[in-house]
Amino acid sequence: MSPIRKDGRSGGEPTRLFYACDIHGSEPTFRKFLNAAKFYDVDALVFGGDLMGKLLIPIVRSAGGTWRARLQGQDHHISTEEQLAEFKKTLQTLGFYWKEMDPEEYGDYEGNQEKIDALFDVLAKQRLADWVALAEERLDGTGVKCYLCGGNDDTQEVLAALDEVPEERVVNCEERVVPLDDQHVLVTVGYSTPTPWDTPRERSEEQIAEVIEEQMAGVHDPSRAVFNFHCPPLASGLDTCMKLDASVWPPAPVVEHGQPVYYGGGSGAVTGALERYQPVVGLHGHIHESRGSATFGRTRAFNPGSEYGEGVLRGLIVVIRGGEYIGHQFTSG
Amino acid sequence: MAEAAAPQVFTRRASGLVRVMSPYSAFIYNILTMGIIFPWIWIQGPTNFEGANPTLAVFFAFLAEIPIALAYAWLATALPRSGGDYVFQSRVFGGAFGFSAVLGLFVIWILQWVALSGWLVATFALSPLFLGLGVNLEAQWMIDFGKWAGTANGIVVISIVNAALSLALLVSGFRNYVRVQFVMWYWVLASFGLMILLFLITDVGEFQAKLNSFGGAITGVQNYYATAVAGAEAAGANLAPAFALGGTLLLAPVAWTSLQWASYSVEQNGEIKNAHVFRNQLFILVASLAVTAGLLILLGLSMQKAIGEEGMIVASSGYWLGNADATLSGAILHPSVLGIALTASPIIIAVIGIGFLLNAFQIVCNCYIGTTRIMVAQGLDGLLPDWFSRVHPRWKTPVNAHVAYFIGSVIVILLFNNKFPGLDVPDWSTKWALGVTLANGLVFTISALAAALLPYRAKALYEASPGAKFKVGSVPLVTVLGGIGFVLGLLMCLAFLFVDELGLAYSGDNPVPYILVIGAVVFSLIVYFVMRQTKARKGIKVEYAFSEIPPE
Repeated sequence: MSPIRKDGRSGGEPTRLFYACDIHGSEPTFRKFLNAAKFYDVDALVFGGDLMGKLLIPIVRSAGGTWRARLQGQDHHISTEEQLAEFKKTLQTLGFYWKEMDPEEYGDYEGNQEKIDALFDVLAKQRLADWVALAEERLDGTGVKCYLCGGNDDTQEVLAALDEVPEERVVNCEERVVPLDDQHVLVTVGYSTPTPWDTPRERSEEQIAEVIEEQMAGVHDPSRAVFNFHCPPLASGLDTCMKLDASVWPPAPVVEHGQPVYYGGGSGAVTGALERYQPVVGLHGHIHESRGSATFGRTRAFNPGSEYGEGVLRGLIVVIRGGEYIGHQFTSG
Repeated sequence: MAEAAAPQVFTRRASGLVRVMSPYSAFIYNILTMGIIFPWIWIQGPTNFEGANPTLAVFFAFLAEIPIALAYAWLATALPRSGGDYVFQSRVFGGAFGFSAVLGLFVIWILQWVALSGWLVATFALSPLFLGLGVNLEAQWMIDFGKWAGTANGIVVISIVNAALSLALLVSGFRNYVRVQFVMWYWVLASFGLMILLFLITDVGEFQAKLNSFGGAITGVQNYYATAVAGAEAAGANLAPAFALGGTLLLAPVAWTSLQWASYSVEQNGEIKNAHVFRNQLFILVASLAVTAGLLILLGLSMQKAIGEEGMIVASSGYWLGNADATLSGAILHPSVLGIALTASPIIIAVIGIGFLLNAFQIVCNCYIGTTRIMVAQGLDGLLPDWFSRVHPRWKTPVNAHVAYFIGSVIVILLFNNKFPGLDVPDWSTKWALGVTLANGLVFTISALAAALLPYRAKALYEASPGAKFKVGSVPLVTVLGGIGFVLGLLMCLAFLFVDELGLAYSGDNPVPYILVIGAVVFSLIVYFVMRQTKARKGIKVEYAFSEIPPE
């Protein structure tokens, strides 16, 4: 840790943030996120939402002490404890959850989406609780705080785990205004505009604007705010994604002349807030494939993208001081 | 315990990510980039290396490229990101090396390909198209335009228009380009197929008669073929040389200037659907190489049948030995011209001519697509000004990088054609420009080495990749393939450096081409260190862009 107090004051030592998002349950990616504090020598870790994984792999016990599972379109026959441990490690890297179950139990779940969703919540909440504990342990004595929140893919039930954090090193910043240092505050909104996937925490533009306004009511000086808004600004180049046909499941790309159609999947309410409040920086995620930066007046907005499935932590180092953006560096570790 | 049915995966409502370009589109992209229309192997080979067999040279180049393309499959699946060679080399060798090698040897030198593409459009597409139509439709204005297209002024104008059209198409949206690419692909296939068919149904005697008629109509020479033969002999061509294996091997690097582009799709790897899947990359990189080599070999064999060895030497003499009698008022006897000479059908002429036009236009598009992706990646990594990485909010394309590249390409087009105001650069197009063969070849060769070292220099990344399971004994297969590819690529690059008839050595005692190659790398290194210092003053290390964080 630097002996110089980092409070982000003008003329003082700048504050260095590391931002990442959309890790979707990937264990090695979250561990890299925690290690980024030391590796990149930053003062705070800011997470931008979408903590939960998307798939749950039933590992079904078979006769003779073996297991069967399906992963990435292939059937896996697991015959030893070592193979089982290796298989679970692969699932952790991919951000998937798993549960060992008997064929009868598997049969109870099969086709019962309500029951499957409940199991997702249980497993995801447990993983998130484990991560919080890990963060407290890893960051203990460092002076670095880790700000966690949800995104549109995270359920309210799972995010409840954040309400139980000890708030020593880990800070639940979900829909709150929290201090980053003596000079800057972090404003967090984890919702997204409606998606073809009908995810748990989607809101209309009006609702997002309302939440932002509620948050900003508690901010004395917007120019010293850092926006941690999961949804990127609309049509900003940070939100370019494929247009999907929501009339089929899973949603399929809209294809014209043999190629997918692209559009901006961001939020106009976020754009409006960036333009109106002119915060120090805007940190965004949600659209994994739209890594980049954009400018709104004096404000720089970023989306570091995501490649959690490959165990790659895409991130962003941002340096701020006295309400001013100093510089940034995209990372891919 | 009852045996369960194969368990299925449980899912929940969560957003997904799908990439843009299908593996099939990337496969097409690579074939068109390799450029089945590239002429040098046919117009240079037969007289450059006496007794060399161009078709066999293509096969040798294909064999040399196989391990390189395979090595790229490992890299592309381990690092399925846009920026390709830059990403691979910077992650294996570090930022300073990766950045300066790819900017200095690739991005800057591919400007030369923009100029070359314009030259191809002018001389191998528009010129023969209008000459052929003019002769058959008895339209003098078409013949005049065809001749003008082959002049220096014509080439400059056409090259700049070519680059500007590509700029407009690409900044308007990548999907617009992909739509056009499908048209290009099927038209080029039709064009190429027709040309081969014409060669296959023609014998040598018939060819000479038809060329007499075609050439005579354009040049006014009564017995065009015999005059061209006499000119070739006078220029020193041996019309009946014995087969030379050495010459054929030395001609392979010329064929490699086409086939080395089998891996070009990796520059936009981040936009390819399921780019991390090994068999997809094999299809995109290796199958495209095999198809292109097969098409070129088929072209060579069919030309051999229709034109004969003597005819190919005579056609080559018009380019390499300066035999003006073996040109059509300056237009070189490239395969498309020879194919067009064999038919009286304006429709077939139009199909062949437009096919070559589209392929030549696609090459300039490829120059922009690949290099702008690299510039965007370098901008995002903080090694080029952030301006380069900006994506236009409406068009969703890196407009700034495209515009910068267009401006650079106009300068090189003027230099290439010796039309840069106030600057006389003689022999740019024939000598200095050959730096591109060395520079681009080095990038592919260095990436093959990066692949060989991937398991040791980026261990975690490699072990997480699908190719990690392939080994020869205890040695990773990619190390073996990358090592072989590196050696073969290096041999090609050494040929470009030291063989008199190839690459930089052709410039004789003129040191400027060597200085240009080295200078571009030194310039890139300077950019790297300036950007690194600029970032450091803001409290940021650019090295972070290439560093792997340990999970533990």
